[in-house]
Amino acid sequence: MREVYVLGVGLHPFGRFGDKDVIEIGREAVINAISDAGLPWQKVGAAYCGTVFAGPMAGNKVLARVGLTGIPIMNVENACASGGSALRAACQSIAGGFCDVALAFGMEKMPRGFIAGNVNDWFAVMGLAVNPQYFALKARWHMANFGTTEEQLVQVSFKNHRNGALNPFAMYRKEMSFDEIAQSPMVNDPLRLLMLCAPNEGGAAVVLATKEIAKQHTTKLIKLAATVLDSPLYGTAEVPHISVSARVAAPTVTMTAAHEAYREAGIGPQDLDLVELQDTDSASEIIYSEELGLCARGEGGKILAEGATEIDGRIPVNVSGGLLSKGEPLGASALAQVAEVVWQLRGEAGTRQVKDARVGLTHVYGALGNCAVSVLQR
Amino acid sequence: MTQATKREIPIAPGLFQRVDEGACLIGSRCLECDEVSFPANTFCPQCCKETTEKIPLSQRGRLYSFTVQRFRPPPPYRGPEDFDPYGVGMIELPEGLRVTSVLEQSDLTRLHVGMEMELVITKLFEDEEGREVVGYKFKPVGGDLQSEESTSSKEGRRRP
Repeated sequence: MREVYVLGVGLHPFGRFGDKDVIEIGREAVINAISDAGLPWQKVGAAYCGTVFAGPMAGNKVLARVGLTGIPIMNVENACASGGSALRAACQSIAGGFCDVALAFGMEKMPRGFIAGNVNDWFAVMGLAVNPQYFALKARWHMANFGTTEEQLVQVSFKNHRNGALNPFAMYRKEMSFDEIAQSPMVNDPLRLLMLCAPNEGGAAVVLATKEIAKQHTTKLIKLAATVLDSPLYGTAEVPHISVSARVAAPTVTMTAAHEAYREAGIGPQDLDLVELQDTDSASEIIYSEELGLCARGEGGKILAEGATEIDGRIPVNVSGGLLSKGEPLGASALAQVAEVVWQLRGEAGTRQVKDARVGLTHVYGALGNCAVSVLQR
Repeated sequence: MTQATKREIPIAPGLFQRVDEGACLIGSRCLECDEVSFPANTFCPQCCKETTEKIPLSQRGRLYSFTVQRFRPPPPYRGPEDFDPYGVGMIELPEGLRVTSVLEQSDLTRLHVGMEMELVITKLFEDEEGREVVGYKFKPVGGDLQSEESTSSKEGRRRP
């Protein structure tokens, strides 16, 4: 297998953009990534597009506006892990020797409001199947068993909005006060409105290449040391679920994907300088910090309260502002995490730069337990 | 279906049945690994084989975790037009599985992890043909727990 490097990254800002066409949103992200890579579009040998809401053949529609070069274009739908899935496929096409330069991109223009569905109709008719319910059930369980507090849930959102205020691509780009968050309307107890990320619009793209080609175009080599896509083992509680086994204690999909990613990259969580993870809601950031091995089980709230996950902390989490500040365009979110880590590793992250960052991890988790994790190293 | 009337239909077939002592959910048990599933499966999701039999599930279990649904869910939700927040919980049954369910409990401040819950079959809405569509919920054992100061709590559960 050949080593794979990130040659270029590009975003279309996350937010709401009126009548702007989702295909145009995707095109701008791709153009920015190609430009960042510094090579002509004709050099790209394969393309993978992650999207959930942009419709059939969305990737082909975007690339028809970039240039028709005859390359294979694969459209990937994998819920919140769509972009991560596209990245993995692009990585494999280079690692396997099928092409030397590959593009992964994703874009969305999502309906407003909370996501519901993905399960039998009767279940939703009864008033279940609304996504935040499942995050809230996990949050309540974590609070009851590990003493995670409501104040810590506020703090996650406070931290990420403060980071996001420094990110020109984030949707909110402003700080939220503790009180604003703590007094925002309750949605699914204990989760309040400003503790939940907003589905929105945006695009992201990543150009991957062999080491040989990467070296010809940049001195800031960023290695894609691992790309993992896992579905869950039997017995774990995914979003949403009608029932789940209480007899089987399987590791969660985040745990298995992280484990594989660390093995593939030949590192451990102690080697990470920053992490971009799926903060669908405040409690998820705390829970995934534990599942990714950034701290012991039950101590996610503690490392947050101690400041370890701040930009200047021991292990900065979501320095981009995370989904809480950026919003979540499903097909683009994982690739935007990769872009953030690449900027950080290149030392190009401006006011939110993590000092001397060398290794970063990205993590997305989606409906029915689709989970993608990647590790980037300079 | 001893207590069923002609004008009543279940939200989906095969989820629950009425028995002498009330009602129970219908699950399936794997004959090889003993793992229990709900709704009933023809295959065992652990063994990946068609080795199951249908079984009635326990009517009582413990509240493993819960939340409160504070906004009206989008369609296809069919609850009352005049929306009131309701509880949602995972109820751990002795068979070794946790069932996600709407909770029948008016004072939502009295829900707590570990409390004993029991199954109820209840009317959800009336369909276009005037039939009562019934589904399952769980309620605290001993019935709906009313707060001592029921007036203030009733106001408390409604959002302004």
